[in-house]
Amino acid sequence: MINHVSEIPIEGITYKQLRIEKKPLTPEYVPPPPELVPAAKRAVCIDPSRTCMPFGAMWATLGVHRAIPFVQGAQGCTTYVRYTFSRIFREPASIATASFHEDAAVFGGRKNLIRGVRNLVCRYKPELIAIVTTCSSEVIGDDIQSFLAEAQDLMEEEFGPEVLDLTKFVVVNTPSFAGSHVEGYNRAAHEFLKALSRKSGQPSEDLYFIPGFLMPGDLRELKHLFELMGVSYHILFDISDTLDCPLVGMPNKIPYYPPGGTRVEEFVRAGDAKAIFALSPDAGGAGAKWLSRRHKVSAFVLPMPIGVGNTDELLKTVSEVSGRPIPEAIRWERGILLDAMADTLHYTMMKRVAICGDPDFAAAATRFVCELGMIPTYILVGTKSSSAAEEIWKVCEEYNYKPVIMNGSDQFEWEYALKNDKPDVILGHSRCVNISKEIRVPLVRFGFPVYDRIGYQREPIVGYRGGERFLARIVNAILDHHYPDDRTHQ
Amino acid sequence: MIHAPVGCGYYTWGTRRHLGDVYNWAAPGVLENEANHRRHCYTTAMTEQDIIFGGAEKLKRALLEAFRINPGAQGAIIYNTCSTALIGDDIEQVAREVSAMVGKPVFACASPGFCGVSQSKGHHEFNTQFYRWLLKYREKHPEVCMKEEEKTPYDVNLIGDYNIDWDLVTVVPLFEKLGLRILNVFTGNARLKDLFKLPDAKLNIVHCQRSATYIAELLKEGYEIPFVRVSLFGISQTAKSLRDVAAWFGEEKMKRRAEEIIEEETAAIEKALSWYRERLSGKRVAIYVGAPRVWHWPKVMEELGMEVVACMTTFGHKEDYEKIVQRVKPGTLVIDNPNEFEIEEMIETCKPDLFLTGLKEKYLVRKFGVPTLNSHSYEAGPYAGFRGFVNFARDIYQAVCAPVWRLARNEI
Ligand code: SF4
Ligand code: SF4
Repeated sequence: MINHVSEIPIEGITYKQLRIEKKPLTPEYVPPPPELVPAAKRAVCIDPSRTCMPFGAMWATLGVHRAIPFVQGAQGCTTYVRYTFSRIFREPASIATASFHEDAAVFGGRKNLIRGVRNLVCRYKPELIAIVTTCSSEVIGDDIQSFLAEAQDLMEEEFGPEVLDLTKFVVVNTPSFAGSHVEGYNRAAHEFLKALSRKSGQPSEDLYFIPGFLMPGDLRELKHLFELMGVSYHILFDISDTLDCPLVGMPNKIPYYPPGGTRVEEFVRAGDAKAIFALSPDAGGAGAKWLSRRHKVSAFVLPMPIGVGNTDELLKTVSEVSGRPIPEAIRWERGILLDAMADTLHYTMMKRVAICGDPDFAAAATRFVCELGMIPTYILVGTKSSSAAEEIWKVCEEYNYKPVIMNGSDQFEWEYALKNDKPDVILGHSRCVNISKEIRVPLVRFGFPVYDRIGYQREPIVGYRGGERFLARIVNAILDHHYPDDRTHQ
Repeated sequence: MIHAPVGCGYYTWGTRRHLGDVYNWAAPGVLENEANHRRHCYTTAMTEQDIIFGGAEKLKRALLEAFRINPGAQGAIIYNTCSTALIGDDIEQVAREVSAMVGKPVFACASPGFCGVSQSKGHHEFNTQFYRWLLKYREKHPEVCMKEEEKTPYDVNLIGDYNIDWDLVTVVPLFEKLGLRILNVFTGNARLKDLFKLPDAKLNIVHCQRSATYIAELLKEGYEIPFVRVSLFGISQTAKSLRDVAAWFGEEKMKRRAEEIIEEETAAIEKALSWYRERLSGKRVAIYVGAPRVWHWPKVMEELGMEVVACMTTFGHKEDYEKIVQRVKPGTLVIDNPNEFEIEEMIETCKPDLFLTGLKEKYLVRKFGVPTLNSHSYEAGPYAGFRGFVNFARDIYQAVCAPVWRLARNEI
């Protein structure tokens, strides 16, 4: 049955044949009017490095066990988000929509919510539904809380009171025009804890972590570290299994729910926690702060644990809070990262690097490249953030660099700067591919979103081991592009 | 120009193949407008302030800036979405003003998400709004119309083909070999300056009959341009399409030419196809795509010896379902716009060996151990036309016969 490949008449028309269609360049160069380059001076936003708020709230919800986001808006806001999740994770992502039509636009989305939530509860039996609003429901002025109360009453009548024990509800208001996906996640963290967490009066030793937009591989790396530390931990919005799970053949139960995710119960007990850590200040910080205000749980808002210094800071804080020493095994991992840095310093030192990413990613990556002796040149912070800008300034002062920080700007401005002043390497997400190809500077993908490389979601960049992997990718990109083959083994 | 908060523009950015694809990347520091304009995303990124005070002024400024940044741009299309429609920004007015100021066409497409059940309404809206605008623009600017002396009796438009993964490469030459000149593809790789010539054709050839028959009908009403419906997937349907088009022109020479093309092309792909057919025959397939492909494809699957067990569409209308039912065997499951739950039930009941579906569903279905093929944007197209059919068969073979499914069934 298996023929030799060369016998198989595989192609009708090949990609190669398609490619020769390419037309040559036309030489004329039309530089944009200089006064239109800075995003702050334009009304038009060109190539945003951020998306709208509901996305972040949906991301967070998908990290909760048997939870489904219910998006109060027209279908597109849901469909496009599902595409985005599918592209990034290559996993299913179930998201429900209120599916607004004309009548909802005129009369509000009350009926849509009540009927939608009922359907969801009786067909999917989720443990949690997060109602996520969109710009349309916010403009219409839907009173979600009262709709929800009405829906719950009706369901109680129809199915009996047990139904309300089965499914918990959280409302996250995410008017897309008021912030980006980063703020959406931040609000979700706040609302989930506000709606669910309780203080029972019996304090626990548990440590809670809000990871922000870290990938499944990153979360696994964090768990590995906390396990070595021997602390009892909970990761809120834990997408490590829900958005990266095995192919097992026919699951025996429908509807399909991915395994894993943070349990509702874990949110409830967060009120008794010993401490809560936000590992991405802008995406989750609000949740940690709320818990500390309300339930007096100590809150730590730390930079994302990318690189040596940031990981040190996280582990030291965890060690102090929990009273557990940092074990030898972790020191070993740290030593290996340092070893790798020493081995590659001639490739990294004084290399100029441009960075593009969400605030916390950009800030943490800046620190890491500085630790590698690289020179940050242009840093695009996709969503305006004062804390990230401050952190970047702090790092650069420490290392004595003066990068240009484009806080909340768009890729157009950043691209223009890069065209005029080429870096040696770019750290950025998948939307930077075009720029990187055009100016022929290698791109090391990181942050949100990375959808055009296989395995990124499983390869950590946090912790010491993640740092070593990240370093290797940066150095390999530099080797590929800047060194002749016989100079790569010095 | 997407007139909306940042999300709408962000998500629709770069989702379709476009003209820029046929250009090489511009050299460092060189911004080649034609190659670049579609890989960017232009949006007003409305903020809370803009929503409160209205965004029309901002839109106008944004558009003028966009024209200054892209002096080579041939025109602009504005889309509004839910929030900007709700606050009542008059995008048509802005389009008129900016068009007058820059001397270039600007079309405003009202497309708030809530205005229809699915993207099907968006197709409809674009068709009718664009047509109305086109007429007015041609009236005011007769220079954009085709000159009499440039016209030929063989000018046609290909309507409803979106150059999905370069389908046009396999489709356009077929018609060109017939002796036709394709003025426009609505809207695969389209250029605004060509689209103005839509009404100058003699015949419209309609491929996607859900998203674009509207404009063909409008052109028929307004300009008495007849249209033929075609299906360009698989051997027999593509052959029939060529015969139908040749028959419309009625010329013996063209009819003979059609037969020659069919013979030539079929001969070229037969060996490959029979290899795949041998390996695929008897497999059960479920189809869930937009709408027309669901009835374009049962025949295609039969040509590969496969059996269609279920058909579903995202946005099919009544006529689409009538056509589906005509084309499938009795007993085939047909579902309208299924949700994930229904898809799961379908898998349990129909036990397909292959699920033709899009990106959002394919990962779910794979978890059930069922192979999938991205049928919206393809795995490695083109799939249309004769030569594309081999790619289609190859990708189906790859999906169904990959060793991974067998390994997944083995217990350890
Ligand atoms: S900007 Fe508004 S309409 Fe657009 S995707 Fe975001 S929430 Fe939906
Ligand atoms: S996917 Fe199908 S229905 Fe959708 S536009 Fe393309 S051809 Fe038409």
